[in-house]
Amino acid sequence: MKKYILRRLLQLIPILLVITFLSFGMMRLAGSDAVLQKMENTGMVVSQEVLDSARAELGLDKPFLTQYFVWLGNLLRGDMGTSYISGQEVFGTFLSKLPATLLLTAVSILLTIVISIPLGVLAAVKQNRFTDYLIRTASFLGNSMPNFFVALLLMYFFSIRLKVFPVIASDMSLSSVALPSFTLAVAMSAKYLRQVRATVLDELSKEYVTGARSRGIKFSVTMTKSVLRASLVTILTLLTLSIGNLLGGTAIVESIFLWDGVGKLAVDAINMRDYPMIQAYVMWMAIIYVCVNLITDLSYRVLDPRIRLGGDKA
Amino acid sequence: MSANEKKPTVRRQKIRKSHRKARLLFFLILTAALLLVVIFAQQICPYDPNIQDTGISLQPPSLEHPAGTDRFGRDMLSRIIVGLQTSILSTLALVAVITVVGTAAGILCGYYGGILDSIVMRISDVCLAFPGLVFALAIAALLGGGLSNAVIALAVISWPKYARIARSQTLAVKGMDYISAARLAGGSSWQIIFRHVLPNSVGPILVTSMLDIGTMLMELAGLSFLGLGAQPPTAELGNMMSGGRSMLQTYPWVILGPGIAIFIAVVIFNLLGDTIRDYLDPKNSQRK
Amino acid sequence: MSRWKKLSAMLLAVCLGTGALAGCGSGDSGKAETQETETGKKTFVFGDTTFNPENEEPNVNPHETYAGWACIRYGVGETLFRYSDTMEIEPWLAKSYENVDELTWKITLQDNVKFSSGRVMDGEAVKECLEHLIEVHERAKGDLMIDSITAEGQTVTIKTTEPKPALLNYLSDPYGCIIDMEAGITEDGIVAGTGPYIAESLVSGKELNLVKNEDYWDGDPGYDQITVCTITDGDTLTMALQSGEIDGAYGMPYASYPLFENEEYTISSCATSRAFFAHMNYESAVIQDPAVRKAIAMGIDKEGFVETLLDGNGYPAVGAFPENFAFGGDSVETESYDPEGAKKVLEEAGWKDTDGDGIREKDGQVLNIRWLTYPSRQELPLLAESVQATLKEIGMNVTINSTADHNSIRVDPTAWDVYASAMVTAPTGDPEYFFTTHCLDSSAVNNGHYHSDKLEQLETEMAKTFDTQRRNELAVEMQQTILDDNAFVFCSHLKMSMISKADVTGLTAHPCDFYEITADLAPAA
Repeated sequence: MKKYILRRLLQLIPILLVITFLSFGMMRLAGSDAVLQKMENTGMVVSQEVLDSARAELGLDKPFLTQYFVWLGNLLRGDMGTSYISGQEVFGTFLSKLPATLLLTAVSILLTIVISIPLGVLAAVKQNRFTDYLIRTASFLGNSMPNFFVALLLMYFFSIRLKVFPVIASDMSLSSVALPSFTLAVAMSAKYLRQVRATVLDELSKEYVTGARSRGIKFSVTMTKSVLRASLVTILTLLTLSIGNLLGGTAIVESIFLWDGVGKLAVDAINMRDYPMIQAYVMWMAIIYVCVNLITDLSYRVLDPRIRLGGDKA
Repeated sequence: MSANEKKPTVRRQKIRKSHRKARLLFFLILTAALLLVVIFAQQICPYDPNIQDTGISLQPPSLEHPAGTDRFGRDMLSRIIVGLQTSILSTLALVAVITVVGTAAGILCGYYGGILDSIVMRISDVCLAFPGLVFALAIAALLGGGLSNAVIALAVISWPKYARIARSQTLAVKGMDYISAARLAGGSSWQIIFRHVLPNSVGPILVTSMLDIGTMLMELAGLSFLGLGAQPPTAELGNMMSGGRSMLQTYPWVILGPGIAIFIAVVIFNLLGDTIRDYLDPKNSQRK
Repeated sequence: MSRWKKLSAMLLAVCLGTGALAGCGSGDSGKAETQETETGKKTFVFGDTTFNPENEEPNVNPHETYAGWACIRYGVGETLFRYSDTMEIEPWLAKSYENVDELTWKITLQDNVKFSSGRVMDGEAVKECLEHLIEVHERAKGDLMIDSITAEGQTVTIKTTEPKPALLNYLSDPYGCIIDMEAGITEDGIVAGTGPYIAESLVSGKELNLVKNEDYWDGDPGYDQITVCTITDGDTLTMALQSGEIDGAYGMPYASYPLFENEEYTISSCATSRAFFAHMNYESAVIQDPAVRKAIAMGIDKEGFVETLLDGNGYPAVGAFPENFAFGGDSVETESYDPEGAKKVLEEAGWKDTDGDGIREKDGQVLNIRWLTYPSRQELPLLAESVQATLKEIGMNVTINSTADHNSIRVDPTAWDVYASAMVTAPTGDPEYFFTTHCLDSSAVNNGHYHSDKLEQLETEMAKTFDTQRRNELAVEMQQTILDDNAFVFCSHLKMSMISKADVTGLTAHPCDFYEITADLAPAA
C-alpha cells in the first residue's frame, strides 16, 4: 500500500514537468505579455524604450527556453519567483489566498452533499412520482442558469431585498461565505442529485435488492446497508472531481463576491500574462489532481473490495 | 423501477413498460420539435435577427416584439431563435465528441488497465489539471476566434470527465461474475466490452452528457469573452445572456429571454436523457 | 457519525477563527448606511474598480508605475501643479513659478504645507522627492528630463537637459505627488503625502484605509475615516451601492445608471480624454484607398453609438481631445455621419456592387474590412457591432475579431484593416503625447504605419514650442492633418462618472480623472 502511494506520488514529477512546460509554451503562443497588458489596462502608451526596459527587467527579452529553464532552476532551489504584476513573492501570495479557497470549497461541498444526496435518493425512491418530477425540474433550473446569474439573483434577494448577507464577502465569516458557497452549491447540487438518482436507481434494479426484498428484509435496511454503500463509489468519483475543480478556485463566483481566493488570483494572472503566478497555479492544480485521484482510488479499495482484485491483477 | 412496490405483478410491469414507451415517444417528439426550430430558425424568426434599429433599442416585450428588443434595437425573439440554433448545434457537436472520445478512452483504460491505463489517465490528468483559460487563449492565438475553435478548446479539456466515469463504471463491473463467465465462455474482449461493459456505463454517461448540454452552453459563452466564441453579429444564447449581464435589474428581458430558451433546451434534453436511460437500462429489461 | 460531527465542528472553528480577519466593506450589510459609527466618527466607503495591481495601482506609492493615480485620487498626495476644470495648469503645492530660460524653471512653494509625517514641505523635501522619482521611475525620468534640482528655502530650481515645454504638465502627472522621503516608503507602498487624508494601511488589490489629516493645509476634510474598496466586478459594485455597503462608486456599468438616477443618489460626470478610436492600417490594400477611409469615417454613427449603445454615457468625438480641452472638441472638423455621402464617395472611387450581394467590389477585390478590437473595455465590442451594421448600409462588409489577444495581432499588419482601441489621448493635459505615441514614424503604437510629412514637421515645431497658445494651435493643426487623411477615426470620449449616496457631497468628476477624494468630500449637512 505504501509503495503504491509512493509510486503514485512520484508520478507527480513528470506531470508537473509536462504541465509547467506546456503552460509556459501556451502562454507564449497566446501572445502579448505582462508589459503590454498593463499598458492596455491603464490606456496609457509608453515609449518603446520603457517597454523594452520593463521587459528586460522581467527577463521577457530572453528566448523562451532560457526563460523556462531559469524558472525551473529557481524552482528547484525553492524560489518560485515574484509576480510580474504585483512584484510580490509568488509563493507567499499564493499561500495567502489558499485559506479562502479552502473554506469556500469545504462549505460548498458540504452544502452540495447536504442538498444533493437526500434529494437524489428521494427522487430515485419516488421515481416518476410527483416528488421526483419536482426535484428534477428544480435541478434543471439549477443546471441551466449560469453561475453569475445565480450569484446576481442571490445577491439581489439576500443582500438588497432582505439585507441578511453582505454583497461584498469582506472577511471569511459565515455570513460572507454563505452567498458564494450557496451559488456554487446550486449548480453542483443540480448536477449531482441527478447523478445520485441515476446511481441509486441502477443499484435498486440489481438482483440483490429484489433478493433482499423477497427474503423479507426491510427496505430501509437494504437501502442504507447496501444500496447507498454501493452507490457511494460513483458519487465519490464525482464529488472528488468537483473538489478538485473547486480547489482550483471558481473565478466567476470569487470575483463577483470579491472572495479573495486562488481562482480570482489565477484569472487575473492569466489575463495579465503573469507567467510566474500562472506557473504556481498550474502546479497547484496538478498537485490537487494527483492527490485527489489518489484518494479516490484508495477509497475505492476500502469501499469496494472487488476493485482490489481487479487492480492487483492489472 | 420503483423500489417501494413490494410485489410487482406481470400486469403492472406491462403497464409500466407501455408508460415508458409513451414517455419516450413524447420526449422524442419534443426533442424533434426543438430540433425543427433549430433547423428552420432562419425561416421561423419574425425579423432579421441582425438588423439594427437604434430608434427602438431596449424596448420591453410588446405585441410587435414579443421578447422585447436589445441594445441595438434588434428583435429579441428572432435573436433567441437563431441563437438557439447556434448554441444547440455547437453544443451538440461538442457533447457528442467528448462523450464518444471520453467513454471510449475510459472503457478501454478500465478494461485493459496496465500501461494504456496509466498513459491515458496521465494525459487526462494533464488535461484536467491544465487551466482551461490558458488553453483557450492558446487555441485562440493558434487557430483564431470562432465557435468551432471554441468547441475544440472545450473538447480537449472536458473529455477526461467522461473517461473517468466510464473507467470507474468499467472497473466496477470488471470483477463481476457475469464478465468472468462471459470470458470463460470464450467471448472476445470486444464482445464483452460491447455486450456487458458499455451497456453498464450508458446510464451514467448519458445522464452526464445530457446534463452537460446546459453547462457546455454556458462554457461556450464564457469563451466568447476571450474572443474565442461566437463573433458578432452571430446570435448565441450564452453570449446574449452574459452580454446582458448588468441589465438584470434595468432591462431584465434582455437576459431572461435567452435564459428561458436555455432552460427549455436543457429540460428537454435532460428529460429525454432520463427516459432513454430508463428505457435502455439492461437490468431493468432483464427483469421483465 | 461522530466523525462527521468532529469534522463539522472543526469546520465551524475554522470559519469562526478566520472571521477575525475583517476586511473591506463593513462586514454586516447595511452598516455603512449610518455614517456615524458607534464612536461618532464620520466614515465613508468608496467602491472603485481601478485600485489593483492589474491596473498598475498596487499601492499609493507615486514612485511606482501608475500607483501615483491611487495616491492622488484618494487624497493622499498632491502635486506641485494641478489642472483646472478646463484643463489649464494652475499652482497647487507650488505658489508660483518662473520660466527663467528654456531649460530652467524656478518654482516657489506654498509656505504652510506639512507632510502627514509632520515634516514641513520645503524646497529640500521637494528636491529629495523628485530626485528619488527620476531615479526609480523610468517613465518620469523620460518625461521630465531633469538635469539638476537645487533647493533654497521655499524654492526649487529645476534644470532640464533639453527644452521641456510641457514640464509643468508632467509635474502634474500623478507620479509627481510630493511625498516625504525622510519618512520613506513602507514595504506595503504607503507614503507620507500632503493630502487631506493619510494612508493608514492597505491590502493590494483589495482595500485602502485612510484617516483624516488633522493638519491639512487647505481646508478641513469632511470624513474621519475612509475605506477605498476594490470592486472589479461591475454588478457587484452596483449591488454594493444599492445595499448601502459602499457610499460612493467609480466605474459603474452603464446599464446600472437608471437605478441611481433618482433623488437618493448623486451622479457627477464629465468628459475625459480617454478616447475610443479606430486606427487605419496603411499596409492594407483596401484601406490604402483614401475613398475607403473617408467612407468609413462617414459611415460611423457616433451620435447613435453614444446615445443608444452607451445610454448617453459618452461624448461623440470629433478629434482626439474632448470639448473641455482648449484644443479639443469642435476646434477641428471631420466627416460627419452621412451614409448617402459615403455611398457616393465609394461609387466615385469605383467601388460598385456588381454582383448584387450588397457588398461593393472593385477590380475583383471585395470591400471587406477586418475590424480588430478587444472585449476588456465594454464599449469596444459595442462600437464594433454598431459599425458593422452602419457600414453594411453603405456596402462594406465588416468582419469583427474581438479578442483578448489583440496585442499580438495588431503588430502584424497583414492581420487586420481597422483596429479600434481605447486609449487616453492627453493624460497630462498636454496634446503632444498623443501624436508622439500614435501618429509618428517613431511612435510606439502607430499600429497602422501611418506616415505624414506634414505631421512630422509640425511635431518638430511642437517639441520646441513653449508658448501654450502656440502649442494649442499646433495641436489643432496636427489633429486636422490626421483627420484630413482619415488616418484615425475618433468615435467617442469616455464620460467619467462617480455616483454617491445623496447624503454625501463633494464627490465630483474631473476631466483629467486624477481628483476624486478631496477635502471637499463631506457628509451632507
